[in-house]
Amino acid sequence: MSNQFKLQPAQIVEKAKEIRKKIIHTNVRAGQGHTGSDLSEVDILASLFFRILNIQKDRIDDPDRDRFILSKGHGVCGLYCTLVEAGYLPEELLDTYLQFDSDMPGHPVRQKCLFVELNTGALGHGLSVGVGLALSAKKTNRRFRVFVLTGDGELQEGSNWEAAMSGAHFKLDNLVLIVDRNTLQLADRTETIMGLEPLADKFRAFGFEVYRANGHDPGDLIETIESLDMHNAMPKAVIAKTIKGKGVSFIEDRAAWHHRIPNEAEVLTALEELE
Amino acid sequence: MHEQKHDLREAMVQSFIKAVDRGINLAVVVSDSTSTSKIKPFAQKYPDRLINVGIAEQNLVGVAAGLSLGGFVAVTANAACFLVARANEQVKNDVCYSNTNVKLIGLNAGVCYGPLAGTHHAIDDISIMLGLGNIVILAPSDAIDTAAIFDFALEYEGPVYIRMDSDKLPVIHNEDYRFELGRANLLRTGTDISIMAMGSTAHEAYFAGQELEADSVQAEVINISSIRPVDKEAIAESIRKTRRVITVEEHSLHGGLGSIIAEIIVEENLQAQLIRLGIPQGQFSKAGPRDKIRAHYQIDKNGIVTAAQKLLQTS
Repeated sequence: MSNQFKLQPAQIVEKAKEIRKKIIHTNVRAGQGHTGSDLSEVDILASLFFRILNIQKDRIDDPDRDRFILSKGHGVCGLYCTLVEAGYLPEELLDTYLQFDSDMPGHPVRQKCLFVELNTGALGHGLSVGVGLALSAKKTNRRFRVFVLTGDGELQEGSNWEAAMSGAHFKLDNLVLIVDRNTLQLADRTETIMGLEPLADKFRAFGFEVYRANGHDPGDLIETIESLDMHNAMPKAVIAKTIKGKGVSFIEDRAAWHHRIPNEAEVLTALEELE
Repeated sequence: MHEQKHDLREAMVQSFIKAVDRGINLAVVVSDSTSTSKIKPFAQKYPDRLINVGIAEQNLVGVAAGLSLGGFVAVTANAACFLVARANEQVKNDVCYSNTNVKLIGLNAGVCYGPLAGTHHAIDDISIMLGLGNIVILAPSDAIDTAAIFDFALEYEGPVYIRMDSDKLPVIHNEDYRFELGRANLLRTGTDISIMAMGSTAHEAYFAGQELEADSVQAEVINISSIRPVDKEAIAESIRKTRRVITVEEHSLHGGLGSIIAEIIVEENLQAQLIRLGIPQGQFSKAGPRDKIRAHYQIDKNGIVTAAQKLLQTS
């Protein structure tokens, strides 16, 4: 199976713009949401869904499809908007975001949304489940790959490190962890709250092959991920340098925007900047 | 009843082997708990299907959920105390909320680890599981019940919790016993008093029933191995008949079998007297030899007989 779009980086940049505009509209309409977190991950999600992930709309249950887990479940609006932009979900559904019993609740639910493998929202769950999925592929000789996107503050959860230890022990070269490294968490900078650095060294010490990429450059992300050796008996960590709130100047790199919503004037400015 | 005693875990492991033999794509995940689970015969026959994640219970449950998403029937097998407490959020989200096909086995539950004390006791597992959505909760009482429950659970699609005992126990079910989800098992019929027990305390209830018969008391003894769903009809029918109930569980009196029966009595307006035997709520269990703990909390044969006499005197 291959990706059904296979877009070039320049085309993905255009898709990311549209996704960002949808995020602003959707969060404003809902009256709440994790705007900064959503904007941080957009270029990573766009690169995955429009190029990297081997998934296709008419084969959503295919056991050979690549698996993606949004471990930072609070970034779900970014995922919904990406799936809508890709035509996997109808755009009208975004109107129901956060509404009663909506198919688009504030954290992803696999029973409600295609390509959601796990109900995330509590942090530090995706990597363990990713390890289990990658292990299932090894045990059944399937060739699918498993991509897990975590936030960076999320890595303060100890369960990630249990999972990392086992991913290396089981030699899961089909497992790719992407860290949305925007250096901000809910309350403040990660390094102020509970320092993560030297993060790359930590993953290396746990047996991962570690790469760094510009998390806002689809070209760099694609080149990094497509050149990974998926047969070297090592799991991979891609530390994607990002800016929380990327694309909107007054949201960028501000902890206060973890789950703030722009007001009317701010929306106009934001949409102008995203053009 | 047969005098010969069986380790319930051996019946469990034989069910695993038979399941793979008949084509079930099973993976058993342990957290250094290979001896706790007595998994060796399975490991010898199907080494690739046993996964040991080390001493890491959160990862144990997360990996099992991942394996199930990859097409396996995933089973976790470790001590109940560590499963329900340490991995509670993984149980909640990765298994129950995500509705993955994972079977969670709580080994050596209750106070099986008697002298090893509070860290190793699991007297809250049923109450914790009852608070979660989507999960079936089962507690086998002997080797026949265990084999039947595992044969069922490995075919059932969705989350299941199975509370297991570590003792070697005699058989109190007939060979023709068939487990049915949501069905209580009548171990003996009677008209004077209903004794309802869960897991290995069904043995204490069974023997108490025999002893009461010698005193001309006809006790109805019911083994509740299907905790969720629970057999409300059979339970209510028995209580309507006897109007006197004793519940027996090696579990906190908060949120276990006694609570379930009390709810049924009130909701069905059954007008019955109830004595709940278990660990008083708000307490940790005392530590020590298991038989001494059971005697202390009256969850042994003698305690049940005493409770029965008390109920019969007051009514």
